[in-house]
Amino acid sequence: MPEQAIVHTQDVRKTYLMGNEEVHALCGISATIHKGEYVSIMGPSGSGKSTFFNMIGGLDKPTSGEVYIDEVDISQLGIYELAWLRCRKIGYIFQTFNLIPVMNALENVSLPMVFAGLDSDQAREKAAGLLHKVGLGDRLTHRPVELSGGQQQRIAIARALANDPAIILADEPTGNLDLKTGQLIIELLLSLKEERGVTIITATHDHKMLAASDRVIWISDGRITRIQKREELDIRVGSIDEATSAPPSSSP
Amino acid sequence: MRRARADMAPSAIFGEMGRGRLSLPWGRTVEMCWRSVKNRRGRFLLVFASIAVVVALFVSTLSHHGMLRDLRASDDVRIQAALEHAGAASNDPQSEARQSERMMLLLVLSGLLCFVGVTNTVFMSVTERYREIGTLKCLGALNSFVVRLFLLESAFIGIMGSAAGMAAGFGLAYVQMGLTVGFAAISLGTVVKVFCLAAPLAVAGGTCLALAAAVYPAMAAARMKPVDAMRVEA
Repeated sequence: MPEQAIVHTQDVRKTYLMGNEEVHALCGISATIHKGEYVSIMGPSGSGKSTFFNMIGGLDKPTSGEVYIDEVDISQLGIYELAWLRCRKIGYIFQTFNLIPVMNALENVSLPMVFAGLDSDQAREKAAGLLHKVGLGDRLTHRPVELSGGQQQRIAIARALANDPAIILADEPTGNLDLKTGQLIIELLLSLKEERGVTIITATHDHKMLAASDRVIWISDGRITRIQKREELDIRVGSIDEATSAPPSSSP
Repeated sequence: MRRARADMAPSAIFGEMGRGRLSLPWGRTVEMCWRSVKNRRGRFLLVFASIAVVVALFVSTLSHHGMLRDLRASDDVRIQAALEHAGAASNDPQSEARQSERMMLLLVLSGLLCFVGVTNTVFMSVTERYREIGTLKCLGALNSFVVRLFLLESAFIGIMGSAAGMAAGFGLAYVQMGLTVGFAAISLGTVVKVFCLAAPLAVAGGTCLALAAAVYPAMAAARMKPVDAMRVEA
């Protein structure tokens, strides 16, 4: 089966101006992520990992180079098209969950559908289905404050799936969760990948997430230092185990 | 269906993005704003109060003048005597004009103060909610949705604040006038006439003030980037 690229970057560079000094956040990154893949982007803070991640998510534009999402060069897109892309093509999951506090679970999940023009009855029905899928079928009318971190993140996952996106972008999705809950969230993401063929891209420090990834892209100093497949990771499973037994908050 | 979409050529995808596809129905907007107002009562009480005070000032001045005009036009000797007694019978147009001029200035100044206060409060609400705004944008909200949400929120408070201020201001003017000339002297017709003149003006004015004051912060909110949703600190 030929692998189809869903995200492709070509020599992406990003330069910020800090005072009079140019800071090169990304120095020419070329990478391809395939449809249905689970890819983790790893790198210490300040490595350009977040910049790269935001670019893949259509949240930032490169200074030079091209970013293709689903074969569309995002630097060509206007404000409306970018919003459309974020609404329909990409589902976002955040470290801090970012549910709208004044809305209940059902309303949170149906919000992107409302933006996408679905009528409210259809949106409600679909949102309820998605919440059932993430195991919160009995919490439809609960507000985020009434739910645990893991439950909130599951609502966020349901919300990310609202408009059947091709890509799910998860920024440290387990960063604010304890070990066990984080594990459940990863399992949920994995099962969604299997079931729906959705591409999952995460930025993470979490070694548990690495084990679930098909590929890991390591970034440091604005460059890709290596790309590992899961098979290659398995060889190093001993060292990963060691890393997991360390306190979960420690960052590499 | 999704899969087919992914196979499309870029031009087809652009075509598919036909304008007007992203939407936020008014019903949902109103609902979201109402919830937000209900949940941030403390913050919005400030806006509510400042608008109520300005509107009350405006309405009481207007009603006072209106009632006075009606009373002066009355043929009743007792009313004229009461007015005389209260020193309100003078019909000297020059001093009258000077007084209303001074009142105007006071009104404009308090309106300006209120404007600045409302702008500041809405601004605080915007900076507090950067993550929420960023998230909305990540979910596909257009700038116009964000502007609309903040404007409508402010308009809600404007309507409530001016309604409260209107009631208070009118009541104040009525009681004041009643105490000077006697409540019996003020006919129901006068009350209704003056009220019907002042009320719509006051509510419209107060709401417009709240709306106008929220324009700048709402635009600042709309300019926030979706990346803000990713920020972790604080």
